[in-house]
Amino acid sequence: MHPELPLSVASSMSERAALALQRNGHAPGVRLTMELIRSPAIAGISWPEADLKKMDQHDFNRVTEDGAEAVALVIAGRYRFWRVVRRMQRREHADWLLESVRDGIRSLVAFEISGVDKGNIRARLSEKCTQVSRSRNVDERWAGVVGFEQPAAALHACEDEIHGN
Amino acid sequence: METNGLNMLVTEAIWRAEELEALGIRSELAWKEVSSLEEKLAKLHPASEPEGQIARRGAVSAALEASDYARAQALADGYLAEDGAPESLKAALREILEEDAAAMESRFPYASKHHSLREVQGWAGRLRASGAFGLAA
Repeated sequence: MHPELPLSVASSMSERAALALQRNGHAPGVRLTMELIRSPAIAGISWPEADLKKMDQHDFNRVTEDGAEAVALVIAGRYRFWRVVRRMQRREHADWLLESVRDGIRSLVAFEISGVDKGNIRARLSEKCTQVSRSRNVDERWAGVVGFEQPAAALHACEDEIHGN
Repeated sequence: METNGLNMLVTEAIWRAEELEALGIRSELAWKEVSSLEEKLAKLHPASEPEGQIARRGAVSAALEASDYARAQALADGYLAEDGAPESLKAALREILEEDAAAMESRFPYASKHHSLREVQGWAGRLRASGAFGLAA
């Protein structure tokens, strides 16, 4: 799905996604509610189980954030057909640079992702949209937020919000 | 090395630097590696391409994260002088340096008032590298 995502980074993100889901009491196969450009969808999400005893080896917030990145990148690959180009530095206002190829035309997508361990994801989505809207040299700017309490994910095209398209 | 390989390396390097920061471990060396990989990417992509601009900003930003101010300034000077560098890139590079200088001034207000930015950057780099207490030889 993301051939340019290094294995070491993918493994680390996946393990943290498993920990973020399991520490909220979820098991593989749990339903993930998704909102993709305001269209609702539901999918089952599965993962190789992680050992919760290893939880104290990880920073709590990184488990939430990196776990969210794993889930959001899977959704971006599966439903938008985007592929990872590279990770971005924080001054770029986005976590990832992705590419979308449609009819032979390549577009660059800045993708900012955040995780919410407990509570609603709506407020965070708006915050992340504001952030990624400052990203330069890309064709599209998107924000994704993943919640782990009741597994949920939302992906939003931020330029739509800014330009009112 | 081709672009895809370098993109994978820079992704891993940024990830590593962020991991070290999250653990409270000094990450200057990791950011130096990021800066070096961004510089290589910048050589593969002209300044007119989006990925060329991202890499040029990234090389300068990562050098600042590594507290290597001389390298950040030298890279920025080179990119600002490039033929075909868009004005937006030049403005962004200046903004990165100015933001960092402003952050430095707020962290070291007394020193900034009485000394040049270059001197303050030198002390800040030495302080970060060796801690607050120096041992004279």
